[in-house]
Amino acid sequence: MTNKPYQMFGMSLAIAGAIFAPTAYFLINSIPLTAVALSSVMIGGTSIALAASRPQISPEAAQMILETGMENTAALLEELGLSGKAVYLPSAMRIGNAQALIPLNGDIDVLRIKDKIPRRLIVRWGENPEDMAIAVTAPGGTGLNRLEIKPGPTSSEIEHAVTYVLIGLLDLADSVGVRLENNMVTVEVTGPKLQYENIWYYRCLGSPIASIVASIACDGIGKPVRITEENYRQHKSTILLEVLG
Amino acid sequence: MRIFNRYLLLLVLTSCLINIILAFTGQTDIEVCFTILVIAFLIITMLFVYFNPKTRQALSLVSIVFLSGFMVIVALKIIEVMGQK
Repeated sequence: MTNKPYQMFGMSLAIAGAIFAPTAYFLINSIPLTAVALSSVMIGGTSIALAASRPQISPEAAQMILETGMENTAALLEELGLSGKAVYLPSAMRIGNAQALIPLNGDIDVLRIKDKIPRRLIVRWGENPEDMAIAVTAPGGTGLNRLEIKPGPTSSEIEHAVTYVLIGLLDLADSVGVRLENNMVTVEVTGPKLQYENIWYYRCLGSPIASIVASIACDGIGKPVRITEENYRQHKSTILLEVLG
Repeated sequence: MRIFNRYLLLLVLTSCLINIILAFTGQTDIEVCFTILVIAFLIITMLFVYFNPKTRQALSLVSIVFLSGFMVIVALKIIEVMGQK
């Protein structure tokens, strides 16, 4: 169980503090030691509360599920020989969860997307017969559903939403910085727990962190985005997103 | 470091610092010590705004418990002052 260490730590501190507080106050007659016992009870109680709010699923199980999903998508992409960069669509251009479109041939011209993209695997994005793409739900898609407030188009609003999801909800990074210039979004993620690997899946859809960032950014800006670059240097990941259309 | 660990570590360090300062300043009132510890806890908890809703809810319950203790102390002090008059 993932919450066991917090529970054990909390229980130990709370019980020790609860026993020591009256001893220090009535028998030893020491206020500083009583204060130490009180703070021990407070930290213990907080730790127990944190344990209760932790998910029951272990990080190892979550990683296994993520890898399985990625393996399946990667197998599909490799089998079809798709190597184009995915385009992340905002909610106004799709039905259902956040999707990433991978073109079956050529590139996707977002200006030619007239209707909402349906919730299917193989979709038509344009009017021409060759305007076909694979629509997959990227890891960021499900993260987007957990946002309490939909992000706005400014860099601070996107940064707030990305920070909330990456740090508060998923605990995948230490800090996030977002810069919005012309049609480029630069996102700096410090201390990312998942890094970029040069594999087929990541080359198409980006790393899970970049995918989350792209899903949130495209919904905030209201335009499709594409992950153009991902760098990892000195515990810092730099993600470059191109705003399309 | 995980966000929960960072939060707990900050709480432990702050509590240690407060207790050391209070011991060196010769504070002999346990109510003052408790009040300062509760205020420090509330400030640190407020700083971690990015906790998920479930964690925030759990910490709110803990905050209410500590705040109740603080309110009891305030109420007792008020009664004490009123009694003196």
